[in-house]
Amino acid sequence: MFKALLKKQALETLSTFTLSNKTGKKRKPAAAIGFAVLIVYAFGAFAMMAYEIAKMLCAPLVYGGLDWVYFAFMGTIAFALGFIGSVFTVKVKIYEAKDNDLLLAMPVQPWKILLARTIGLYAYTFVFCALVFVPSAVCYFIVTGFSFAAFVGCFAVMLILPLGALALGFLFGWLLALATAKLRAKNLFTALFTTAFLIVYMVLYSKLNDYLSFVIANGAAVGEKMRVALYPLMQAGLAATGDFGGAALFSLIFCGAFSLVYALVAHSFLKIATMKRGGVKNKYKSGVYRQKSRFSALFRREIMRMKNPMILLNVALGSLLLIILPFVALFNLDFMRQLSVVEEATGYISLILAGLLCLLVATNVITASSVSLEGQNVWQSQVLPVKTQDIFLAKTSLHLLLSGVPAFLSAVALSVMIRLPVLTAILCVLIACAFTLFAAVCGLAINLKIPNLHWTNEVVAVKQGVSVLVAMFANIGVIAALVGGYFLFGKYMPSAGYLAVCLGALGLASGLIMIWIGSRGEKIFESL
Amino acid sequence: MLRIENLSKSYGEKKAVDGLSLHIAAGEIYGFIGHNGAGKTTTLKACVGILGFEEGEIYVDGISVRENPIACKKKIAYIPDNPDLYGFMTGVQYLQFIADIYGVSAQERKERTEKYAALFELTQDLANPIAAYSHGMKQKLAIIAALIHEPKLMIMDEPFVGLDPKAAHAVKEIMRQRCAAGCAVFFSTHVLEVAEKLCDKVAIIKDGKLIKSGKTEEVRGDASLEEVFLNGENANV
Repeated sequence: MFKALLKKQALETLSTFTLSNKTGKKRKPAAAIGFAVLIVYAFGAFAMMAYEIAKMLCAPLVYGGLDWVYFAFMGTIAFALGFIGSVFTVKVKIYEAKDNDLLLAMPVQPWKILLARTIGLYAYTFVFCALVFVPSAVCYFIVTGFSFAAFVGCFAVMLILPLGALALGFLFGWLLALATAKLRAKNLFTALFTTAFLIVYMVLYSKLNDYLSFVIANGAAVGEKMRVALYPLMQAGLAATGDFGGAALFSLIFCGAFSLVYALVAHSFLKIATMKRGGVKNKYKSGVYRQKSRFSALFRREIMRMKNPMILLNVALGSLLLIILPFVALFNLDFMRQLSVVEEATGYISLILAGLLCLLVATNVITASSVSLEGQNVWQSQVLPVKTQDIFLAKTSLHLLLSGVPAFLSAVALSVMIRLPVLTAILCVLIACAFTLFAAVCGLAINLKIPNLHWTNEVVAVKQGVSVLVAMFANIGVIAALVGGYFLFGKYMPSAGYLAVCLGALGLASGLIMIWIGSRGEKIFESL
Repeated sequence: MLRIENLSKSYGEKKAVDGLSLHIAAGEIYGFIGHNGAGKTTTLKACVGILGFEEGEIYVDGISVRENPIACKKKIAYIPDNPDLYGFMTGVQYLQFIADIYGVSAQERKERTEKYAALFELTQDLANPIAAYSHGMKQKLAIIAALIHEPKLMIMDEPFVGLDPKAAHAVKEIMRQRCAAGCAVFFSTHVLEVAEKLCDKVAIIKDGKLIKSGKTEEVRGDASLEEVFLNGENANV
């Protein structure tokens, strides 16, 4: 029985690679290879980033005799990554697994179900931890030369470190599952949690160099702090250097913590898995009914999709940034104004402003996920007595509203703040608006070509949508072409002239895409 | 009300529907019977204009589905076998949406919403998100949405699946009332007893081809509909 559970777990994990998100069917060999290459690339890029951090830290700390601080620091990063990687997966795969009822109804002990799932999760967490720890160990051996004791120590840390991350993941996953089960506005809770996480991540990332420099300059002091605050990870650091005493203590702490948490979860697994999802029921009140136009109905339907804050956050993050941008610019206002006085700099400033606004608009992917969000409900749109172009118009209008209005306001505010010449300012504003239109129709066209209607969670359709990724790259490619074009052709015309050319190009491109949507795109949608 | 002429539809090499012709007149309840994968859903989807077809023609109230799908859709209400409705809307929001699309007046939509919601015991749940509905509740809501614009033709794919006996009885009554008012109902079912008791006419389809069709009593003859169906199924075995 346990073997069957393990096999099911392995098949479930492998299905990510073998089954298509789009159709739910087996991927074609070329698609499977392409997906595998993408995964290897993403993991490789992350491992390279970890290696660069390791390279900065390793030599200074090792030559200062602080090998264990180096490993403790890198181990902390690996641990954090393993925890972040596992916590949401634990929530979904343990506490909210869709097959909990099915498996619990079978003649198998709950702890076996949990164990099979835990093994899968361990493998998952192991990969995340290894992405940081393997490059760190490689870097260490390059700097110090190979040592058998350190090799065994690193190997042990690599195997045991994920257990600690997973133990913490179990606890936080349980809290998350409990909170989202009992909260009424759970989407809002998740969106706020994600935003907070994003802000913390951005702050940490922007200050990473400062932190690394601090660790290099104050290695011994950092080590002392770690000894007190992160005692288990200090032991991990010692273990990785080949200190067998440290290795024993580290193994004891991490394995002990994991065993304790596992025993607790196993004890209450049945209760957790069958926990009744909360939520207060609303009562219908007979009120006034109003008749609205067809377009209004279609447009409101698109707005209602955004009621889920997680979707809104993922498709319209750029709008939030567009609103914040003028306030951020206030801090650098004097510098920008001084530059804008210099005639030669006006061209670059206007181009940078237009490019920056377009870049933020480019991160809005409302239309690029709008067809995918139809999901299994697509039959509804097809069966309604409305023209397909009206459905597209509603989707595009929402994009223009959510993205265009902040882009317009931000462009006007920044142009006034920087005191751009009137004509240049008008062109900047128009470019921001024209690019919004381009991004809207381009995103819709891409989503029509690459729809994903087979999702179980609508947020997944947005976050993991290929169309979203392609649309973002397409938008950024166009921005790069427009900005790059200035360096090639800017010397032949005034900056306002170049902006006017860009405006014309964006208008033309949008028009061509709209013609395609009106002909081929409509047929694609009708046959989805 | 619905005329299907020589309809053919293929999925790759497989012919899902092969030269099917049927005529459903106003005032008729027409049952569509066949084994799983016989081509029932494909036919129904082609009739409501959400699935293209290679050969043949379908007319709704004399209008070609191929040439003027929007005009046809205005006359039809479709209930699929698995009603995936908008989970992000509440029941009442969904009914408002459908009413807006079909241009139902405020007064009429209020009356019909409250009448049918009461009939299906769904009134209190109308204020809750559809995502929280059970399969049966979704099915009831889909039926209410289908009735909110008083369609001339109701096309339903397995309409009784997931309904409690009371709701199933209500649906049968509504079907009879709609037909008495000059509309037509075309629905697929696996429940042969229901087809036998409810339908004026039935059609039996096998591997995309029509085996038998006509008045229910003529099709079944002296046997039961179940025997006729099973005999047809075993004919080529």
